[in-house]
Amino acid sequence: MEHSTFKRILLQVFLLPVFALLVMAVALYVDVRGSNSTVDLIQQSDDRITQATLVAKLIVDEESGLRGYQTTSDQRFLEPYNKAQVLLQTQLAALENVPGANQSQKDHLQRLQDGHQTWQVGFAEPLIATIKAGGTANDVEQNLHGKALMDDIRADLDGIIHEAQERRNRRIDRWHLQVRTMLEGIFVLALVMGVIIGLFTRSRLHAVSDAYRTSVETLRLQTNELFESEQELRTTLASIGDGVITCNAEGRIQMMNPVALELTGWTIDEARNQPLEQIFHIVNETTRAIVENPVDKVKRLDRVVGLANHTVLIRKDCTELHIADSGAPIRDKTGRTAGFVLVFRDITLERRTQDALLASEKLAVAGRLAATIAHEIHNPLDSVSNLLYLMRTGATPEESVQFMSMAEQELARVTQISRAMLGLYRESKTPVQVDLREMLQEILLLMERRLTDLGVTVHVEMPDAITIDGFPAELRQVFSNLITNAAEATGKGGNVWVGITPKLATTASGIRTEPGATVQIQDDGPGITAEDQTQIFEPFFTTKGEHGTGLGLWVSRGIVNKHGGKISVQSDTSETSHGTVISVFLATKPTIQPGAD
Amino acid sequence: METDSHLVLCVDDELIGLQVRKILLERSGYKVLTAQDGLEGLQVFAKEPVEIVVLDYSMPGMNGGEVAVRMRQTKPQVPILLLSAYVGLPAEVTALVNLYMTKGEGAEMLLEKVESLLHTPVSE
Repeated sequence: MEHSTFKRILLQVFLLPVFALLVMAVALYVDVRGSNSTVDLIQQSDDRITQATLVAKLIVDEESGLRGYQTTSDQRFLEPYNKAQVLLQTQLAALENVPGANQSQKDHLQRLQDGHQTWQVGFAEPLIATIKAGGTANDVEQNLHGKALMDDIRADLDGIIHEAQERRNRRIDRWHLQVRTMLEGIFVLALVMGVIIGLFTRSRLHAVSDAYRTSVETLRLQTNELFESEQELRTTLASIGDGVITCNAEGRIQMMNPVALELTGWTIDEARNQPLEQIFHIVNETTRAIVENPVDKVKRLDRVVGLANHTVLIRKDCTELHIADSGAPIRDKTGRTAGFVLVFRDITLERRTQDALLASEKLAVAGRLAATIAHEIHNPLDSVSNLLYLMRTGATPEESVQFMSMAEQELARVTQISRAMLGLYRESKTPVQVDLREMLQEILLLMERRLTDLGVTVHVEMPDAITIDGFPAELRQVFSNLITNAAEATGKGGNVWVGITPKLATTASGIRTEPGATVQIQDDGPGITAEDQTQIFEPFFTTKGEHGTGLGLWVSRGIVNKHGGKISVQSDTSETSHGTVISVFLATKPTIQPGAD
Repeated sequence: METDSHLVLCVDDELIGLQVRKILLERSGYKVLTAQDGLEGLQVFAKEPVEIVVLDYSMPGMNGGEVAVRMRQTKPQVPILLLSAYVGLPAEVTALVNLYMTKGEGAEMLLEKVESLLHTPVSE
C-alpha cells in the first residue's frame, strides 16, 4: 500500500466520527430548539392561568366589597371594591396581552369583559348609587340578577383557566413526547452512526491490514530472495577457483575465500581487519622488490588494474607462489569507493608449463637446425677427408697446393657455419649490441641450404649496419622462425624479401615512438586468412600439421615483447596480390621487460 | 686399365665436393662424368652409357630421391650409390637405391662401395 493511501485512510477514519458528532450535535440542537418553544408555550399557559386567577381574586374582592357595603352602607366597605376595580382594568388588559390565545379563549375573555362591564354598570353601580342615596337594596330580584351576572363572569373565568390548564397539560404532554422522541432519535442516530463508523473503520482497517499483510509477505519474500542470493554469492565466492580478497576503503581485509586462504596460508581469523599488504605479501620475481600494494594501485588509478607481471606471493610459511592477479574498486550506489576486491591465482604450474614449452620450442628449433648444420658440415668434411686421402696416396706438389687450397676453402666454410651456430645459442644475461644486418646475414647463411631445398628465392634489402641492444640468441630464434615460416608459406618458386628499415623517433598524435629499426620479412605465399591471423600468435596454433610445434610465433612474440618491441602481421589472401608481411620493430635502446616472454 | 675403366656419373650441387670426388675416382681408374643438379644429371644419364651413379641426396630443385626414381624408370639396371650429408634418410628413399652412405665417411669407404656395386650382379 502506498504511503499516501495509508494517510488517506487514517484521515477518513479520523474524520468520520467528527462528522457523525457534528450531525448528532445539529440534531440535538434542532430538538432542543423544538422543546424550548414548547416550554415557552407552557410558560404562556402558566402566565394565562396566573393572570386569570388574579383577575378572579380581584372580581371576588369587588363582589365582597360591594356585598359588605350593601349590608352596612358604610363607605369603608366599598374601598376593596374601588381598589379592585382600578386594578382589574390593568389586570384584564394584562390577561388580554398574554400571547398565544386561541379564538375560544379570546371569546371567553371578551365575554368576561362584557359580563363584568354589564355587572358593574347594570348592577354594582346602581346599587351603590341607591345606597348612597339612602335607599335599600334588598330587592331579591335585583340581587338574583346580580348573582346571575356574577355567575356568568365566574363561568367565563373558570372557562379561561380550565382551557389554559388543558392547553398546558397538552403542551406538557407534547414536551414529554418531544423529549422522548429526541432521546429516541439521538439513540437511533447514535446507533446508526456507531454502526456506520464501526463498519467503515472495519473496512478501512481491513484494507490497511491486508496491505500490511501483503507488505509483510513481500518483505518476507524479498528477505528470502536476498538471503538466497547472498547464499548463492557466498557459494560462488567459496567455489570459485581463484583466490578472492575483499578489503574495506582503508585497505583492511574483510573477506577471503577458501582459495585465497589456501594460497596465502593464513586463516580468516588472523587475516580479518589486517592491512592487505601484511597478508598478501608480494614481491617481484627477479628483483625481489616489494610490489606496490594492489589496493594503493587501484586507489591511485581508480580503475581495475592487473598487477605487475612476475609477481611472487610470499605465503605465511615463507614458501613462494607465482601468481597472476587483478584488483578492482568496489563502488557503492553513489559511486564512492567502498572497498576493493582482489582476485589472484596460482600460476606456478602455468609458469612451469610455459617454461617447458619454451624449452621444447628451443629444442625443436635446435633439431631443425641440427639437420641443416649436419648437412653444412658434412659436405666440407667429405671434401676435406677425400682431399686428405688423395694427398696421402701420393700427389704431385702442384696437386698438393691445389688440394690444400680446396681444403682451406672448405674449412673456412665450416668455421663460418660453426660461428653462426654458436651465436644461435649463446645465452647472455644482459642485452648486448646486436648488428641486425650481420645477424640476418648469418641466419640466411645457415638457412641457405634449406631455402634452396625449398626452391625459394631470397631478396635482401639492407642498409648499412644497424645496431640495437638485445639478446642475440633470442633474436636469431625470432628471425629464423619468421624466415622459415615465410619460405615454407611461399614454397617452390616463391620469393622471400628480408629488409631492415631504420626508424627515427617520431611523435605522432601525442604518442612518442622510440628510435629503432623495423625488420620486415615478406613472402608471396597464399597469405593468412583473417581468422587465422587472430590465432597465429597463440601457442600450439599451427598450419603445418605434424611438422610444426605451433610454438614458433608465440615464442617469437614473447621475445619481441621482452625486447620492448612490436611484432605485427599484414596479410593478403587475394588472387592477385597474396602474401604476408611480418614486421618486427626493435628499439635502439629498448627498455627490457624481464620475463615478458 | 683402359679396358675395364667404368663410366661413373657423379651428381652433386657442391662444386668443390664434386671436383674432389671426380679426382678421387679418376685416380682409382674410373671415367667420371659430373652434373651439378638433378636435371643435368638425368640428361647425362640418358645420353651416356653410365655404369654407376654416385648421387647426392640434398640438391636444389630436385632431390636425390626424385632423380633416382627417374633413373630407375629408364635404366633400372644401373646401380645407384646415394650420398647424403644428413644422418638419417627416409626409408622410402633408401629403398630406391642400391646403397647409401653418409658424406664424410672417408674416401676408402666410397671407393669400396663403388667397387662392390660394380661387381654385384644386378638382379633381373
